[in-house]
Amino acid sequence: MNVYESIVIAVDSVRAHKLRSSLTLLSIGIGVFAIIASSGITGTLQQTVSSQLADLGENSMLIQRTPSINFGHSWRKYRTRKDITPDIARGLRERMTTTSLISVSNTNNGFTIQSGQESSNPDVALIGIDDMYFEVNAISLQEGRAFTEQEATIGNNVAIIGTDLLPLFPDGKPLGKTITIRNQQFTVVGVLERKGGIIGQSQDNRVLIPLAVFIKYYTFRWDTSVDIAIKAYTKESVAATFDEAVGIMRTLRDLKPWEENDFEIDLNEALAGQFNNLSMAIVVVAWISGLGALVAAGIGIMNMMLVSVKERTREIGVRKALGARRRWITRQFLIESVTLCQLGGATGVAGGLLTSWGVTLIVRTTSVPGLDFVFPWFAVVFSVIACTMIGVGFGLYPAWRAASLDPIEALRYE
Amino acid sequence: MSDAIIDIRHIAKVYEMGNEEVHALRDVSLTVGANEYIALMGPSGSGKSTLMNMLGCLDTPSSGTYLFNGQSVGDMSDDDLAEIRNQEIGFVFQTFNLLPRASALQNVELPLVYSGAPRSERSRRAEDALTRVGLADRIDHRPNELSGGQRQRVAIARALVTQPSIILADEPTGNLDSKTGQDIMALFDELWRSGNTVILVTHEEEIARHAQRIIRLRDGLVESDQPNEFHATPL
Repeated sequence: MNVYESIVIAVDSVRAHKLRSSLTLLSIGIGVFAIIASSGITGTLQQTVSSQLADLGENSMLIQRTPSINFGHSWRKYRTRKDITPDIARGLRERMTTTSLISVSNTNNGFTIQSGQESSNPDVALIGIDDMYFEVNAISLQEGRAFTEQEATIGNNVAIIGTDLLPLFPDGKPLGKTITIRNQQFTVVGVLERKGGIIGQSQDNRVLIPLAVFIKYYTFRWDTSVDIAIKAYTKESVAATFDEAVGIMRTLRDLKPWEENDFEIDLNEALAGQFNNLSMAIVVVAWISGLGALVAAGIGIMNMMLVSVKERTREIGVRKALGARRRWITRQFLIESVTLCQLGGATGVAGGLLTSWGVTLIVRTTSVPGLDFVFPWFAVVFSVIACTMIGVGFGLYPAWRAASLDPIEALRYE
Repeated sequence: MSDAIIDIRHIAKVYEMGNEEVHALRDVSLTVGANEYIALMGPSGSGKSTLMNMLGCLDTPSSGTYLFNGQSVGDMSDDDLAEIRNQEIGFVFQTFNLLPRASALQNVELPLVYSGAPRSERSRRAEDALTRVGLADRIDHRPNELSGGQRQRVAIARALVTQPSIILADEPTGNLDSKTGQDIMALFDELWRSGNTVILVTHEEEIARHAQRIIRLRDGLVESDQPNEFHATPL
């Protein structure tokens, strides 16, 4: 009865002082919101990205001139690196013994594709690929065919399009049609299977053409570097393949034993790891600011409880006269302050869950079809515990004040 | 003397007010036996309130001894005092002091909550007490739904519910009109007749006349302590 009564009193006092308490509860709500929303959103994205990166190819690795996800390092360090030329890629391909699954490609962004009267968005990614591309990157076609070895090496004007470009063909039949990319005409021979996107970036807004053609017409003079994807045959041979690739690359680029690698080589798992680091950084920042808000809110709670103790001095006197021991009074006020914190926390949990669920929904409909909402259990449990601790921590002093009141003076208090 | 509920010997109470020492009680001795009906009188500043707080175990004496049912109150901790107040003393205040958001029943149950009585027993005993003061049909009403007289009856039920050794009433009719005041006094008379020990603190002769014994205080000393010559058990 006493716990229930204290909770009723707490809810009552929220109702009696709407503005004061809603501001305090709001600040708790904001803190909890930051924690829940950040964990919910990053948790959901992390799961998706990890699974998509795994999709990109298990046991595979990528050699690039500069890292694909770069934070914390200086850009200068990479700027002076020599390009990875198609010759180096060819050299690597010839010397590798542990695997033959090696694909060379290059990507540039910002292309507009035209077909008849229709025109695509201006940010299509154009990728020059070789004949190994589909196998190494585990990509499949939903229609048409891949490039023949001859097309890929000699460089015919053929193209494979992503599903985002299907609207260019009002009759829905892209195969055999002609598309124009910066004055060059290509015949569409295939359509990529729909993939969705990583963090809102569509994987389907792209056109693949033979690498030879790509290098001829679409490479900027300052960026002729290619990317090399390598796939090990088995999980066990990943390390050997990785070491061999590093060794050959170093030889091809004339590096002395004491010199650092002047290229990036990343396992796809490592890319997933880098993304995880990035999302961890987001979570950490959100949690720190959320906890900061909670501590600030705790001070608000303390103030509110002190006012409450003052206002109810007489009631405390009566309770003491009727035989309430110190710990009863302490407990009553602690339950009240915890209840207040939980009320604020509940709004934050609800808001945070709703927001991250909403973001999941939006991302799902716009770019990632398979995205599943990941319920941030840990954050929710943590928030409930944190609210309890803040309620107890910041309620302790007001509760102690209440319990220490002299019953005679409390009864006399007007 | 051994059967006295209250046995006070030479108690004094000194308050520090800034640099000044205020002698609220100088040297008071008295005993209260079972089923006595006492009026404690005196002008303001006589030490009446201090003595009442002392009797009610809300305060402890600076010197002298206070035995309550043979236990020395002077060296008790706050929690021990709280337990004595809970078990042995029923308070009735001038301003009723009910919890405004609780029903009559919940108000009366409160001392039983603090004594740790089980829930079912609590509501049964609280209902009995409210029936005794004639409010059986008002148990779910909140104080603001009750008249002044009814509120004081709730407060008296709350004082009775633990079956305390003494009922200590501080100006119980002070906030009531005279007709309602008479009804409340009739209730105290009845409680006394059914075996309770009642101590009234009052400055009204009219009220004091209900008591069997009148103790008058002046300047922190007992001025007089004698049976009430007007006392007559009303029919």
